[in-house]
Amino acid sequence: MTDDALSLRSDGYAPIRDYAVIGDGRTTALVARDGSIDWLCLPDLDSPSVFAAILDAERGGRFQLAPEEEFTAEHRYEPETNVLQTTFTTAEAVVRVTDAMLLPAPGLAPVRELARRVDCLGGRVSMHWRVEPRFDYGRGATTISMRSGVPVATSKQLALALPSWNAGEPRCDAASIGGRFDLTAGDDALLVLAAAYQEPLVIPARREVEARLGATRAFWRSWAADRGYEGPWRDAVLRSALALKLLVYAPSGAIAAAATASLPEQVGGERNWDYRFCWVRDAAFTLAALFNLGCPHEADSFYWWLLHASQLSHPRLAVLYRLNGGADAPEETLALSGYRGSRPVRIGNAALEQVQLDIYGDHLQSAWLYARAGGSIDADSGRRLAETADLVCRIWREPDSGIWEVRSAPAHFTQSKMMCWVALDRAMRLADTGRIPSAGAPRWRAEAAAIRAFVERECWSEKLGSYVRFAGGEELDASLLLAALMDYDDAGEHRLASTIEAIRQALGNGPLLSRYSGEDGLAGNEGSFVCCSFWLVEALARGGRCAEATELMDELIGLANDVGLYAEEIDPTSGEFLGNVPQALVHLALISAAAAIAEAAP
Amino acid sequence: MNIWGAIAGGFVGTLVLTTMLRAAGELGLSRMDLPFLLGTVFSTDRVRAKALGYLLHFLAGQAFALVYLGVFSAIDRSGFALGALFGLLHGVFSGTALVNVLLPVFHPRMGTPLSAADSQPLLEPPGFLMLNYGRRTPVVSLVAHIAYGAIVGGFVSLAS
Repeated sequence: MTDDALSLRSDGYAPIRDYAVIGDGRTTALVARDGSIDWLCLPDLDSPSVFAAILDAERGGRFQLAPEEEFTAEHRYEPETNVLQTTFTTAEAVVRVTDAMLLPAPGLAPVRELARRVDCLGGRVSMHWRVEPRFDYGRGATTISMRSGVPVATSKQLALALPSWNAGEPRCDAASIGGRFDLTAGDDALLVLAAAYQEPLVIPARREVEARLGATRAFWRSWAADRGYEGPWRDAVLRSALALKLLVYAPSGAIAAAATASLPEQVGGERNWDYRFCWVRDAAFTLAALFNLGCPHEADSFYWWLLHASQLSHPRLAVLYRLNGGADAPEETLALSGYRGSRPVRIGNAALEQVQLDIYGDHLQSAWLYARAGGSIDADSGRRLAETADLVCRIWREPDSGIWEVRSAPAHFTQSKMMCWVALDRAMRLADTGRIPSAGAPRWRAEAAAIRAFVERECWSEKLGSYVRFAGGEELDASLLLAALMDYDDAGEHRLASTIEAIRQALGNGPLLSRYSGEDGLAGNEGSFVCCSFWLVEALARGGRCAEATELMDELIGLANDVGLYAEEIDPTSGEFLGNVPQALVHLALISAAAAIAEAAP
Repeated sequence: MNIWGAIAGGFVGTLVLTTMLRAAGELGLSRMDLPFLLGTVFSTDRVRAKALGYLLHFLAGQAFALVYLGVFSAIDRSGFALGALFGLLHGVFSGTALVNVLLPVFHPRMGTPLSAADSQPLLEPPGFLMLNYGRRTPVVSLVAHIAYGAIVGGFVSLAS
């Protein structure tokens, strides 16, 4: 790598802001602006990594492809696709790399296929490439060899082939495969990473790869063209939709909270979590966004998945589920050095074991959104939803770990109680419209009133002029903005309007918001949670403050990276991205906020 | 050993197997629901799918009982224990190949490991040993199939 390319990195790590994502509905890869693929899990998004240089620059593994000379680089998606173009400019040449994970097409193709096409647009350039496969988060024994002129790397059930065309003679050593080649204007080259899992490798022909690349491009354009959203910030909404589509695990319909694991909320800190699971919390936002975007098939698929996944623990809900529907996510620590030394590197997520009461509100709200959009709730599902509402009546008085999954002692979080009210309110709406049994409705009504009385009595601070983070406390919490979004109350109602203002004043830092004030059982700090800012936009819009909402929305759209993606957090001082990327909840909140302004605007 | 024994055993065995799987679902042991998986091949209406699925499941139960009868006849032996052994093999085959590999291939609404962004299946694939439907699913399935096999074997033996 050249000095200039290295200047894009610090200690071997690219800024999180520098990454774009590509994927195929089964897995995703992160591509840095300097052309290095630093994150790829195979065969699925939640499988162990093959490339994890983003979590360990030395031992994680990567797929580099860049000019040998000094270069500057910029990347962008081909319009309305998830096909990425990185353009390198050297002193003598301009060269473009097109990266995509290919979708299946008729004919025999690898089960997972990543194509990297190189086009020299002008001048003469020497390119080099190097693949360092590090199976199973770097723990897997790897064998690299040449088979019929094609480099192959294998480890247990997984095998990778690296066929290439016009990309130089591949050279293998014990730990990597690489090559170099020269291009002049008009020349092109192609490299493919073809994966096999528990079956023989399929080595594709160039013609087939080019055809699948064209078909993949056409699919994304067609999918984007079918999205019905025509409101403001259409480009940002569409990019969010395309990013979310990459986080949908197509075999089941589940949506991952993010593509990555253990990217830190504070560089050097311990707040490093695996987000490659589906959180029930995201369900209501997901369905709302899918309906807003005109994705009824994806909405059906997701809701069916949610119904099935939640059966095992019924009437209780797990906080999160594996993408394949499993309810086990044991947390373990990997021997990787972590993004810029941010340890521990965790996979799995112990939040699964927590009690979080707010998810019942999200679950019933999802059912309500699905039914309202014309989805059918059969008798068995209706009975289960009613039993879930009955459960909420029994457990809402218990303390929980809340929406932010704090690792301090459980508390009576206000937002959790409000979402319990939402759960019972939606159950009543579903019962009133004949979609679920109504026998429990009188009890739901009584308990909903009791929850509201508790919140208004115990969770309101006259001193702060705001609802507070937990009963009896004097701390603020940005998740209380969800009270406006989930119709706990009208956003213009006195207490809620006052809470929105208090949160903005106390937790705001420019356009960004911190999650809460006070302790959470973890050491260190974190950046500002981007989704909270979009919730604020929506709360303002719902409260009739459209001009302020629009101004804030414009600022937030400007904080995306150069390809329109967001990580979970942004450092309010440096603007650096923090946490896992791209994060579904941020993109869901963006879509919801844009739709709310479109609806509220005069 | 006659066909009526196999038919009676197939009916009672499927009844017991279906009841055990349903009970496992209610007890939170597994999300596997074979009638539902079979019925949704033909309908997205859950009620209709389940009704149709039960019918198909009983027909499948009969078909397997006749296969058992064929093997019992070929080796000229039958009985509860031999039936239970057949049930064990049947259960292992179901979890590793029949439901795991073959069902997703012809099920129009079930995802497979090859489902990509251009498809939106409504049903998640079962996974190896149907583990996607819960960690205890292989045990539940094996016990239920052993019971089915024992009943078929027993009925065939008694009808001799």
